[in-house]
Amino acid sequence: MTSVVRLLKPALLALVALLATGCSKADWMVRQSAMDPKGPVSQVQFDVFMATVWLALVLFVLVGGALVYAVVRYRERAGQADAPPPEQGHGNPLVEIGLIMASVAALVVIAIPTLEAIWYMEEIPAERQPDSKLAAWYKGAVPAEAADEVLTVDVVGKQWWFRFEYPQLGLTQETKRTVPNELVIPKGKVVRINLRSEDVIHSFWVPKIAGKVDMIPGRRNHMWIQADQAGHYYGQCAEFCGDSHAYMLFRVVVLEPAAFAAWVESQKAPAPEPAPGSLAAKGKQLFAQKTCIMCHRVAGHYEASAGFGPDLARVASRHTLAGAWLDHRDPAAQAAIDAKGDTEVSAPIDPALQRRNFHDWIGSSGVLVDAAGKPLIPQDIKPGNRMHYYRMFNVAGLRETKTTLTQEELDAIVEYLMTLK
Amino acid sequence: MSDHAAAAPTSTGIDHKKLIMWLFLASDCMFFGTLISTHLLYRKLYPTGFTDAEGHERFIQNLFDIELTSFSTFILLMSSFLMALAVSAMHKGQVASFRRNVLGVIAFGLVFLGCQVYEFTHFWQKGLTIQNSVFGSTFYVLTGTHGTHVAIGVLWLILLYFYSFTGRLRGHGGALDVEVAGLYWHFVDIVWIIIFTVVYLVEYLGPNGIWGAGLPLS
Amino acid sequence: MAHAAHHAPVADKTELPPERSDIGLLRPDRTTGLLDWLTTVDHKKIGILYGAFAMLFFLLGGVEALAIRTQLAAPENAFISARTYNQMFTMHGTTMIFLGVMPLSAAFFNFLVPLQIGARDVAFPRLNAFSLWTFVFGALALNASWVFEVGHLAGWFRDFAWYQSLTYTDFAPANGWFSYAPLSGTFGQADAALHAPRFTGVGTDFWIIGIQILGVASLAASFNFIVTILNMRAPGMTMMRLPVFTWMTLVTAFLIIFAFPAITVALIQLMFDRTFGANFFNPTNGGQPILWQHLFWIFGHPEVYILVLPAMGIVSEILPTFSKKPLFGYPIIVFSGAVIGFLGFAVWSHHMFTTGLGPIPTAAFSLLTMAIAVPTGVKIFNWIGTIWGGRVRFTPPMVLSLGFIWMFMLGGFSGIMHSAAPADAQQQDTYFVVAHFHYVLVGGVLLGLMAGLYFWFPKIFGRMPNATVAYVASGLVIFGFNMAFGPMHYLGLAGQPRRTHTYQAGYGWEDWNLVATIGAFVLGIGVFLAFANLAWTAFRGRRCESDPWDARTLEWSLPSPVPAYNFAQTPVVATRDAWFAHKHGGPKVGALDDGGPAGVHMPSQSWMPLLASAGFLIVGLAVPMMAMGIPHAGWAVVSGLGVLFLGIWLWALEGPGGYQLVTPAATPSPAPAPAEAAR
Repeated sequence: MTSVVRLLKPALLALVALLATGCSKADWMVRQSAMDPKGPVSQVQFDVFMATVWLALVLFVLVGGALVYAVVRYRERAGQADAPPPEQGHGNPLVEIGLIMASVAALVVIAIPTLEAIWYMEEIPAERQPDSKLAAWYKGAVPAEAADEVLTVDVVGKQWWFRFEYPQLGLTQETKRTVPNELVIPKGKVVRINLRSEDVIHSFWVPKIAGKVDMIPGRRNHMWIQADQAGHYYGQCAEFCGDSHAYMLFRVVVLEPAAFAAWVESQKAPAPEPAPGSLAAKGKQLFAQKTCIMCHRVAGHYEASAGFGPDLARVASRHTLAGAWLDHRDPAAQAAIDAKGDTEVSAPIDPALQRRNFHDWIGSSGVLVDAAGKPLIPQDIKPGNRMHYYRMFNVAGLRETKTTLTQEELDAIVEYLMTLK
Repeated sequence: MSDHAAAAPTSTGIDHKKLIMWLFLASDCMFFGTLISTHLLYRKLYPTGFTDAEGHERFIQNLFDIELTSFSTFILLMSSFLMALAVSAMHKGQVASFRRNVLGVIAFGLVFLGCQVYEFTHFWQKGLTIQNSVFGSTFYVLTGTHGTHVAIGVLWLILLYFYSFTGRLRGHGGALDVEVAGLYWHFVDIVWIIIFTVVYLVEYLGPNGIWGAGLPLS
Repeated sequence: MAHAAHHAPVADKTELPPERSDIGLLRPDRTTGLLDWLTTVDHKKIGILYGAFAMLFFLLGGVEALAIRTQLAAPENAFISARTYNQMFTMHGTTMIFLGVMPLSAAFFNFLVPLQIGARDVAFPRLNAFSLWTFVFGALALNASWVFEVGHLAGWFRDFAWYQSLTYTDFAPANGWFSYAPLSGTFGQADAALHAPRFTGVGTDFWIIGIQILGVASLAASFNFIVTILNMRAPGMTMMRLPVFTWMTLVTAFLIIFAFPAITVALIQLMFDRTFGANFFNPTNGGQPILWQHLFWIFGHPEVYILVLPAMGIVSEILPTFSKKPLFGYPIIVFSGAVIGFLGFAVWSHHMFTTGLGPIPTAAFSLLTMAIAVPTGVKIFNWIGTIWGGRVRFTPPMVLSLGFIWMFMLGGFSGIMHSAAPADAQQQDTYFVVAHFHYVLVGGVLLGLMAGLYFWFPKIFGRMPNATVAYVASGLVIFGFNMAFGPMHYLGLAGQPRRTHTYQAGYGWEDWNLVATIGAFVLGIGVFLAFANLAWTAFRGRRCESDPWDARTLEWSLPSPVPAYNFAQTPVVATRDAWFAHKHGGPKVGALDDGGPAGVHMPSQSWMPLLASAGFLIVGLAVPMMAMGIPHAGWAVVSGLGVLFLGIWLWALEGPGGYQLVTPAATPSPAPAPAEAAR
């Protein structure tokens, strides 16, 4: 039995060593960490969490200590095996009641900050509608503090990507201008997020800015967020939503107010026209011929689609593709930045990588064929995705002929998309 | 179902079979409770009934035939009365009286089921299907599940009726078997009273129905 | 103990002529070997079968877990596809909960409850057999989905018309064990064939019917055990003298009978949505997917306590035995178990803190969830109080029990962290939650059940498991478990979501995922070793005496293995821990004069539970096949129901049966066997 105690010691030491290495600050400052709050909502959630952690630590020391003490102190020693049994005590009501009261008291300690935080998260600051200064504000006419109306963003979840709409700013399905997968918000501004889903349940989660709230079809959820530091934030769908749930990522880009205003204007403007006769111009034609326009809109070029797929008007200006799974930034450069614990800073887009991502993404699932009609990228990058026209209709139970692209056609389409900045 | 002699003493003094039936009924309460809650939740959420195949808004008061349902409810209540008589007769060993009463229960149960079949086909023809509205789904599944319970009860009583001729229902064990069936039957009745109240009658509370759907149009 | 000779061989079961039922059926009382096991109504054999099947399915669930961990060992790993991964975690959760832990608990209920209360069997022996076979067949039906999935991947069905016309080609369930609608349900309008478009294929249908059948098994068993515990206690065995394990069985059984109806109804509704185009959860037509979550978790949260209470009961038997001291605060342990049972129904929405409940429900469920920590904490305090002042022997069951307390305590702490809804907003659906509930369910329940296996194995088979192997296995399990699930706390807080089949490099998750994977394999080896040790012991182990641990409750007063009739004479109990008191100078265990030369009345064996359950197997296979569009599968469903009703009807017609079994002459118990624990 002492051997058991002897065995436990190194195990405990190893555990302490593990915990010590796990507690260095840099380890917590990773891309999607909930322990590195960068906004008031995530800060409050972090504070409540730490309150529970401290309580748990105290209880752990007390209860765990009592357990270890009891086991070591009252172990059977050599020669005691045949001794008469110890005193057969049945318990002590006073001890019991005392412990119950102490447990209740301990829980009250965390219950109070919990309740405070629940209402803090629920009530959107300055949720007031009259005399909006918002339009004036984002043009820089009014300082950020003075603009009292919250910015509203409608987030729509789909298998497996996010669509963002800004009703106050004229970026909606109706105006044929929406923003996929990269939520752009101004720094220091309260943003109301309305959460919708068009198919299954998804969940909106940007750990450094706010904990998650689910997007449930037939239900109108909302939350509020605020980011206090400009930069890139990593978000992800947090409710299992089918085959490619793991590929349903998104980014939140927090801009200074002036940069945000410029961004809004750029989103409203029509896409740039490719030079006549260029490969991109051919790509623009193919974009229609190869049925891309059935699902995708390009503001100013093709606006007929109901917007089943992501809006592509500014697709080349975004840092990611395919539900933020394909990242256009040079991984090595980004890793060097991340290593400094500053994941909010983003490396620039690597055009060669971006081109390859477009190429692979569009050409996957057997769409890209060689001269003999043999698929060049047979597998899906995101299994179950509806990127391809025939596939989308298969989901609805209909059979459709498969659209294919030759290498030249694909190059032209990629060239066209690369111009959409 | 018990393999032990039914008369063996038990710690609580309640027969095994009776106790297990009580437990089953407790569980069944949760079962119907869940179904009824589903119905009421959706009723509160969508007070206006349903839209039929032609696209007409239909209101529940126009759909229901409350006279018929009241009649079938009355029949089911009376069957419970007969069931009580049958149980009592069996306890006294009056097999002939048991047979008469249990036949009555079976007949009333069948009448109730007939009314439900009529009601279902009637509603279906009026445009309420399981597919075209949440109301249709909750209504048919809830009342259909209850109907299934009644049908199982009828089947059980028919078997008991035949067993009363084979001698399987003699003595304390036989009376117990009948009593357990009686417990089940009374429970199914009580559930129906609740369903009749919260699914049917509340639609007639106040001029607009309890859900505030507005006045019936047609 | 009294029984020098063990129970009479099967051939001597009865002197009476075999009884025939009304329609001439003969009950298989004289069978041996396989037929005996198939038709047995003996609660001990049923318990052993439950345990054997549960351990097999446990290993299957473990293999699924290892597939999951292998896939996650490195970022963007391609060990298994996204679809397969999703099927793996769905089946891992479903298997571990419904086919591993619940049946293993049921094995203990079956074997122990009648022995602990001084009864000769359960109240409804054939219903007990029916529960067992329904569980087995439900499990087979659920896992048959893997056969179809393999066939699909291997292309076996390519030439069949039904296969070519399938829109959805997932054959094993891939919705998670919670199967949230509408992913598991429908959307849009139903077509003329009453089929609405959906997101998943027949895998979900397998899951629905499988869980439904398993629910029948659990409900039937629970009714049976409540009646047994309430009605079949030996004289003097008052409710407040019941062994704690029996108490926890009672609470668990009540939880099952009140919690399972909710999932039964939810499954019926989902099935109607998928099969008949109903709108319960179809958002297009006004159905509310959130309702599924409420119904699921009204079942699902009590289910957590259904899993954990039996393990708590087991540990509450083991700690007093190896501390040589009664359980500290028995009444409070019992009441806290009951309070957990009640509160368990009032905290379901803490699984839904992120669904936008609104502040008041969120606050209420936060506080209630904190409140449930109190009775849970009370149990831990009382276990420590039991050890305090005792004399602790570190046998394998005791080591595992101490591991249980330790791990369960850690799981409880992360549970308190979740109870604070704002903190949960960050933790919900991350690996932090995975770590939390594995600490409760593996560190807690699995260790508790393993402790129980090592504790009662000598009683079940009369053979003592090898202690050295047991220590090594326990060490591997505890070490591997912490290595696998400890790092997940970090991973969750660092933002790794659950149920994702892969992740990108650069998020800081790579190292700890690899550590967790290695830990999972160590855990797997440990569990396998522990089970293999038991399996070997069952056939080849060293024989041991009837009460090797100097234990406290009535089952240890019987010979090992326990004779078919359990108690030659019904015991009369005068105190809690009656057998320990009997041995150590307290009130003696008395005996009713009911064994005698006439023998003990035994229930007859029967084919009918197996037949009725087989109907469920046919239904469980045919319903998904109908959903696949396999021709004539509808008739198979009908015939399956027919077999079920035929089984029940013949069961009723079989007659009560039974035979007399003559026991060795019963004499009052002599002095207790010297207690000697295996070290």
